[in-house]
Amino acid sequence: MPVLRGQLKSYLLRITASVPDAEDIVQDTYIRALNKLDTFRGDSSLKTWLFSIASNLAKDNLRAQKRWVEDVTDIAREAALTHHEFFQEAMHIHATSPQGQFEVKEHIAFCFTCISKSLPLEQQLCIFLKEVYDFKVSETAIILSTTEAMVKYYLHTGRSKMISIFDGRCALINKQGVCDQCSELNAVFNPKQKIQEELVKIEMAREAEKGDKERLFDLRMSILKEIDPFESKAAELQQHHLHHNRQVMEKYLEKSID
Amino acid sequence: MACSSKAYRTNKMKTFITLLTTFILMSASAMAQNGKATTVKTTFSRQTSVSTTINANAAIVWALLTKAADYPRWNSTVTSIEGNIAPGEKIKLKSTLDAKRTFKLKVKEFIPEQKLVWGDGQGARTYTLTKTGDNSVIFNMTEKIGGFMFPLYAGMIPSFDQSFEQFAANLKKEAEIIMNAK
Repeated sequence: MPVLRGQLKSYLLRITASVPDAEDIVQDTYIRALNKLDTFRGDSSLKTWLFSIASNLAKDNLRAQKRWVEDVTDIAREAALTHHEFFQEAMHIHATSPQGQFEVKEHIAFCFTCISKSLPLEQQLCIFLKEVYDFKVSETAIILSTTEAMVKYYLHTGRSKMISIFDGRCALINKQGVCDQCSELNAVFNPKQKIQEELVKIEMAREAEKGDKERLFDLRMSILKEIDPFESKAAELQQHHLHHNRQVMEKYLEKSID
Repeated sequence: MACSSKAYRTNKMKTFITLLTTFILMSASAMAQNGKATTVKTTFSRQTSVSTTINANAAIVWALLTKAADYPRWNSTVTSIEGNIAPGEKIKLKSTLDAKRTFKLKVKEFIPEQKLVWGDGQGARTYTLTKTGDNSVIFNMTEKIGGFMFPLYAGMIPSFDQSFEQFAANLKKEAEIIMNAK
């Protein structure tokens, strides 16, 4: 059960990009599950059932919000550069918290979380459920109350979109990529590290030259699978970044409505 | 006896005509689903059609046909579609048929997984999906253009045949890739 609770919490953080929302929805999921325990017939696994309740609660919460934009990390970077407190807070976490380390892999996972919020909601949920939390297509269809055909559609279109975005942006997999924030931040938090030595440790970066975009996407998903955004040694630092990006996006989307 | 023989011949002839008609219809139907476009021209109109069998769930084909922003990813004949493909909505379509022109179209009919029609004052394009199994549909796309002024500009409108065949082939390929994904 603790493992399942951890997975549920990490899934909810990744789709909401909010620690308080993720914690609230986990709480509500367990309350609702207890109230409806007599309706659980065991047709699906307990994990599928709980993720189904959590996804429904999250969808209610997320449908009321605007989707983020593809270049969220560029916009958030600009905002951070003019917001001195951001780096002061981040450096404080880095210096004092046991979960304040900076690791390139953790930033890759964080980056995916942010950019995936630019996808239509169903595509985002399908990608996380199938590619990160290892649900089958049939189980994902149960969780999202849709058909297997539509899960396949959402997965394919979501993957295609994310592959295209990262191919255009991520300097780790494409030398022409416009974004190398993970390397930039590594230089800030780990100034003694040599970035090339760090990148060699990451299979996705090692395989970049082969240019197999589907494979690179799968390797990116493997990185997310390895990381628990609440328990990792970079959790507090990445949550701080996520909170910043969320605030920046809320302001940005508010302005774009005006 | 003579009367009986005549009736026999008449019945045989009827059976032969029925079989011949069925054969012609089936052949026409099979030909029509081969992804080849056909165009019928009259003085005041031109109609181009293409049909193909797609081995995918109708929901997937419908989703591909109705998600405007996603068209350029899978459809090599469409440069962009702005707007929502939904009942009564207006869309702006740019096609490789005429790269400089933006077609301003209205969604006239929208019956999920069955029929979609969009068009303007000069014509209409109709998409139909006919389910032939759980994961098999016949896709048809027909565009009819025309009107009293049609003879004046008919010569300036390029043939749609190649573009229609490309559209149907792209749709079939994309839908079947999605359907066969694990």
